[in-house]
Amino acid sequence: MIKPKRLLSLLLRFIAFGATLAAVILMATSHEKGTFFAVSYEAKYTDTPAFKYFVIANAIVTVYGFLVLFLPPGSPIWRLVLALDLVFIMLLISSISAAMAIAQVGKNGNPRAAWLPVCDQVTKFCNQVTGALVAGFIALITYIILLLHSIYNFLNPLFEKA
Amino acid sequence: MALQNEDKLEVGYSSLHPKPKKWVLLMLRLLAFFATAAATVVMGLNKETKTLVVATVGTTPIKASLTAKFQHTPAFVFFVIANGLASIHNLVMIMADLFGQKLDYKGLRLAMIAILDMMTVALVSGGASAAAFMAELGKNGNSHARWNSICDKYKTFCDHGGGALIASFAGLILMLIISVMSIIKLLIKPKPDDELESTGLIPSGVNACRFNSELGKNGKSHARWKKIC
Repeated sequence: MIKPKRLLSLLLRFIAFGATLAAVILMATSHEKGTFFAVSYEAKYTDTPAFKYFVIANAIVTVYGFLVLFLPPGSPIWRLVLALDLVFIMLLISSISAAMAIAQVGKNGNPRAAWLPVCDQVTKFCNQVTGALVAGFIALITYIILLLHSIYNFLNPLFEKA
Repeated sequence: MALQNEDKLEVGYSSLHPKPKKWVLLMLRLLAFFATAAATVVMGLNKETKTLVVATVGTTPIKASLTAKFQHTPAFVFFVIANGLASIHNLVMIMADLFGQKLDYKGLRLAMIAILDMMTVALVSGGASAAAFMAELGKNGNSHARWNSICDKYKTFCDHGGGALIASFAGLILMLIISVMSIIKLLIKPKPDDELESTGLIPSGVNACRFNSELGKNGKSHARWKKIC
């Protein structure tokens, strides 16, 4: 009924959509309050512009992934989807890279700049951010596989002769 | 009459001047190479030393010198590596465009160029964004995590880092355009047919579509030629 190639593509797009959605939700609901020697602190994702950028970028890609799920197979918009896939892969990579840079400083600190690691005090926050980053990675790899799959599909008619 | 047409075509195609579109792609690659190389060099040589007086023992002040180097931050290290790899990639692509027109591997030359371009765009975008957010952290600090900004103490370091970032972003935009053009070339250019090449009528590497229209006018095997375009 449904061709296996179309089923595989649909499944991959659903996985990517789910992964970006998970990344957004995990990062957006990560906040932790606590006291540390009578100093109360609160860690939220809005503290760092990098995490805000991560949430915004993954939200955009989630909406895009949701819309592409409903695209019928024969329409000419698939060529635009190929180009947009590349642009959104770049957006995803940039957001994951930025969030990971800041998260690395938060976990290990930077002694030369007198920046202390923060993860020991806000463990739950750190774990949730790590989970969001992992989901982001899964989404990125799935989108890369989808891009290669799209290019291969477009090139197939030309390869048939060989 | 058919032979005359073939001769005319052979003369026309043997000169193989690069079309205007190829010059555009070459210029873009050259600009992208300069941008990423500049980013690599400026960030790689980014170093600032500051000496401050820590204490005074009697009349001699004890000085301590602190350096800010790009190696202290993993994000900047990634930035330098990513831009270095991107400039090597651009250089290799320029050389392949200028001197290696005949290099091909099972007809996958365009596909390899497109995929490599995409990979380099991904790498540079990751490096540039990580360094951008780390630089923002260094400039503004983070009051929630009690991290102080360092740019007021190491002004030159921050300025040079900012310059390298701008060059890298310019290179990134150029490489995105180049990558899109490579993918378009991959999807539009038809593959020359092996059967035609073996008959010796077409020199290898010629765009079979053009040849078709000339022969088509003579009425030779219309249906067979048309299929290739």
